[in-house]
Amino acid sequence: MTATLNKENIIGQPIDRVDARRKVSGAAPYPSDFDLPGQVYAALISSTVAAGRITRIDRSAAEAAPGVLAVLTYDNAPTLADPPTNALGSTMRRPLKDDRILHYGQHIGIVVATTRAQALAAAELVEVDYAVEEPVLDMDDPRARVEDNPFGMETSRGDVVAALADADVTVDSTYTIGAETNSPLGLFTTVASWQGGRLVVHDTTQAPSFMRKALAVMFGVPEESVRLLIPFLGGGFGAGLRLWSHTVLTALAARVLDRPVKLVLSRPQMFTSVGHRAASRQRIRLGARSDGRLVAIDHDALAANGIGDNLPSPIVAGTPSAYACDNLATHERRVHLNIPYTGFMRAPGAIEEHFALESALDELAGRLGVDPVDVRLRNYADVHPESGKPWSSKALRECIEVGAEQFGWSSRDPAPRSTHDGDWLVGQGMAAATFEFYALDCDVRLTIDRGGNAILRSAATDIGTGTYTITAQLVAELLGIEVERVRVEIGDTDQPQAPQSGGSGLAGALAAAVQDAAGALTERLARLDGRPGESFASLLDRHGLDELSANGHSDLAAAAEDSDVAPAGAFGAAYVEVGVDEDLGLVRVRRLVSVIDGGRVFNRKTARSQAIGGAVMGIGAALLEEAAYDPNDGRVANGTFGDYLVPVNADVPDIDVTFVGEPDTFNPTGSKGLGEIGIVCIPPAIGNAVFHATGRRVRDLPITLDKML
Amino acid sequence: MSDIEYVRPTDTSSAVTLVAEDPDAAFLAGGTTELDLALKDRVIRPSRFVDIGRLPLRGVTREGDRLRVAALTTMEELAADPTVRSRLPFVREALLLGASTQLRNMATIGGNLLQRTRCRYFRDPAVHACNKREPGSGCAAIEGVARMHAILGAGPSCIALHASDLCVPLVAMDAEVELLDADGTRRVPLTEFYRTPGDRPDVENVLRHGELVTHVVVPLLPAGTRSGYIKVRDRQSYEFATTSAAAAVQVEDGTITAARIGLGGVGTVPWRAWEAERVLVGAPANERTYRAAAEAAIRDPFTVPGTAFKVELAKRTIVRILRTVTA
Amino acid sequence: MSSATTARSTEVTVELHVNGRVYPARLDSTTTLLDALRDDLHLTGTKKGCDQGACGACTVLRDGKRIVSCLTLAAQCDGSEITTIEGLAEDGVPHPVQDAFVKHDAMQCGYCTAGQVMSAVSLLGEDEDRRATDDDIREFMSGNLCRCAAYPNIVAAIREVAGE
Repeated sequence: MTATLNKENIIGQPIDRVDARRKVSGAAPYPSDFDLPGQVYAALISSTVAAGRITRIDRSAAEAAPGVLAVLTYDNAPTLADPPTNALGSTMRRPLKDDRILHYGQHIGIVVATTRAQALAAAELVEVDYAVEEPVLDMDDPRARVEDNPFGMETSRGDVVAALADADVTVDSTYTIGAETNSPLGLFTTVASWQGGRLVVHDTTQAPSFMRKALAVMFGVPEESVRLLIPFLGGGFGAGLRLWSHTVLTALAARVLDRPVKLVLSRPQMFTSVGHRAASRQRIRLGARSDGRLVAIDHDALAANGIGDNLPSPIVAGTPSAYACDNLATHERRVHLNIPYTGFMRAPGAIEEHFALESALDELAGRLGVDPVDVRLRNYADVHPESGKPWSSKALRECIEVGAEQFGWSSRDPAPRSTHDGDWLVGQGMAAATFEFYALDCDVRLTIDRGGNAILRSAATDIGTGTYTITAQLVAELLGIEVERVRVEIGDTDQPQAPQSGGSGLAGALAAAVQDAAGALTERLARLDGRPGESFASLLDRHGLDELSANGHSDLAAAAEDSDVAPAGAFGAAYVEVGVDEDLGLVRVRRLVSVIDGGRVFNRKTARSQAIGGAVMGIGAALLEEAAYDPNDGRVANGTFGDYLVPVNADVPDIDVTFVGEPDTFNPTGSKGLGEIGIVCIPPAIGNAVFHATGRRVRDLPITLDKML
Repeated sequence: MSDIEYVRPTDTSSAVTLVAEDPDAAFLAGGTTELDLALKDRVIRPSRFVDIGRLPLRGVTREGDRLRVAALTTMEELAADPTVRSRLPFVREALLLGASTQLRNMATIGGNLLQRTRCRYFRDPAVHACNKREPGSGCAAIEGVARMHAILGAGPSCIALHASDLCVPLVAMDAEVELLDADGTRRVPLTEFYRTPGDRPDVENVLRHGELVTHVVVPLLPAGTRSGYIKVRDRQSYEFATTSAAAAVQVEDGTITAARIGLGGVGTVPWRAWEAERVLVGAPANERTYRAAAEAAIRDPFTVPGTAFKVELAKRTIVRILRTVTA
Repeated sequence: MSSATTARSTEVTVELHVNGRVYPARLDSTTTLLDALRDDLHLTGTKKGCDQGACGACTVLRDGKRIVSCLTLAAQCDGSEITTIEGLAEDGVPHPVQDAFVKHDAMQCGYCTAGQVMSAVSLLGEDEDRRATDDDIREFMSGNLCRCAAYPNIVAAIREVAGE
């Protein structure tokens, strides 16, 4: 029997977040809130150079300091195995592998002491000498190693060279984006203990199932001998998608000491220890006919990566599916620098791609004298441009049109510098987005107990997106019970494996698995020969059963391979009004309209919050955020919350969010994922609005005031 | 585990003695600077915190045409003072544009005057080249990421900025600082209180060790004076100034008869724009005068690539505040 | 000299008054209020986001006024009345700000939420001109970073309580 979402009594409803009460009362436990009996505290020793070798490391003063239990460095720590590659393609250089220094802030040791203060004090006593090398920090440094097409993502169709040569109008622009840090508010924490040969870790991670595998390999134990626990995360935005060295080192220290060890990163350490969005440079060449139809797209991307690192930054992955255009080529290169490891940050690749492509389209619109909205609509991809298959769902046209209507786009004077408001020039810009479908396989276990309560278990995480809430709604809807009767137990790898919360892929994969489980459970219940209107509680009671369970599974990626439709990700459009005080260089967002096709929306309240959150992070990317590396020693020169600026409340105007579209036809629950679509349109929409306000095109993010003078 | 002693004297003279007797002792007031530097950034290593937080040095007193502000008055308390609201409105503006409400509830006026630079190279003990921490060691900021740094009063030894907002109108007002030590009290004009770095960036002001700021005395603006404070920054709130300016002017029949200008975000010390004031007084209140004043204010800046933009921005900031207060 | 001091000692004896309870404690002299609340009093609702006064996650009330507990020594609070997120509900009834945060979904990951709520509670007791318009609320809530950016919902929640 299959369960289907043919009604929306509970699903979709804007119910309060089920964990909201715990969050507003301070009762939701984050990793840093866990303390274990006998626990001791760790502090990290970090390199103060960006390149070179350790020539001497003297632990003696630290070892002699009060309370110190262990000081582990490359030359005395037990050797671990190298970590495996996982579905995200990322590997990590094993911490404490050798004497090499590859970036500033690299963890070169860990100190454990009875108290946190003792550990911190002792960490300062470890003396380290380096043979310092001149770090490679600039993308254009001739010493830098550059790889062509590192992920095999380059594509081409038609003849882009000829099409560019024949085009009526062309654009050839280069866009750069500075390094950005995820900077979740929660300090990443690891509390590790070995309990009877089993490693139990409270860890800030968005991918507990992956981390379990990786830790098992590194420590040479069976996967079942590792347990990750993460009921509440404290934000991640992709920072929790890789296994980081602090987690490994804490687990290692716990094994060496056979005691629980707790490590909480400091905010400055967050800037060098848990990844960032790589700096990038893109060149876009567009060719169009005078009627606005695109005839050529050539997209070249270069992104930074750490030395010894191997992380994809899929900037050109989405370009081929964005617009109907017969001639297209993408090129991707990766340059290795002595920078802290890069990571995934909300809409990795897509935000870069859209900044370049959607800005270039705005430039093209200006040259053609065509409205930017019309350029998008004239090149609308009615079928998937690569495969030619119909989309599983696509309401990008509605996104664009509804947004234009709500924003009042038709009253916009297309001429730059046409609107003034006191000291402010006012500009309006828009952008559209096509987000790639993404999913990994997911397992859940659904149980109904004699009390008539349902329990849904999975190793998925809720990073603030509302996984607890929408899962409870799904179960309630599918089993026909009240939300209050559903308990969601996630964030624990003792539960069935689940994909990471990332790539906007969790909700769809999890929901499909929940639906599968609900179908199986309903079938089992049906076999119990229920009476009309009989409750689950009564049914189980009558059969002397304490509970009844069923497993659920989804593998959408596998299903996608032989699908006759092109599975769609979310679509979106954003319209932004900015004020620019040209004299002082100030740019402020005055209003923002975001329209999203995310397929079926599981909860309109939490979904709206996702869209707002994405939009605001997009404001930060566009106007504020850049991790600045010292050109001489590679230190993050602004690695504090006082110096690296994320948006504050006063930066955020009224944000109007609308969802359009229909349940997706490929995903069995109709969902397409919402975590990232809200951010991708924002930087180009802001850049386009700044151009409209001032006539000045800033192709380098963030658009800080010095760039406007 | 800390090696810092904590004492909380109940009278002012004990407090002074407790610091004076130990060369490494430090006064602790609101804590927003001192605890950050000592416990978090760990670039200062006091032997002893002398917590002066409960000394009877709190409150604002009107003394004729002056305001006497006890040093432990918080930023929020001073901003709420009715005389400040009515007679020093640009002081209130500067206060409320600084930090956050939480920090303003903690930070004291004395502490605000003595706040240390935000230069990340100064605040990172892993940086060896910092003449302010270790005279003669060099300056990593000059070759590094310098954006929120000074262009006035700066030089090859140090470009660290004094980031106070409050001090900008205070220095414009010729505020005075009352100091107390075992030898008694003295009064120092704020314009003479700070030292530009020269070849001793570690010496930031004229305070002697153990000397306590007890009061700040601020003349009130004459009736009919128009004043304002402007703060230019990328983030709308909760950010230090990229540039800022305080202006108080009197205009009679289109001619400027009195002018006071302070600048923030540009100086190694809170900057009094004397030259700009000289250009303004007696000149017609118009755009040309304002630009001339701005040019006079930002003469001979010391810039590095990251701060070069501040030269023009500071001038435009001055023009904007003058245009605003004379509008 | 106060009872909070001892002769040349780097430890202090303090009496912390938190949420109406008195907690005598012997602490390292440099223990911050934040660490004392979390580690010694086991009141972990107050969060550490930057530990340098730049994010507001550790906001608590001291004698009714909001402060950041990371840049405050526990010793400085000897005898002061501290209110944390755990002390807001009265007889199990949540504070109206907590209810409004739930209703308006003024949180996502929830890590900054305790600080946001404490800041909002404080704001409601400050000058009325700090909550007269949405822009006023935005400005006077800007000392609390929310990376998930629940900002508009936080403003809506405060607006609702302020209007009651």
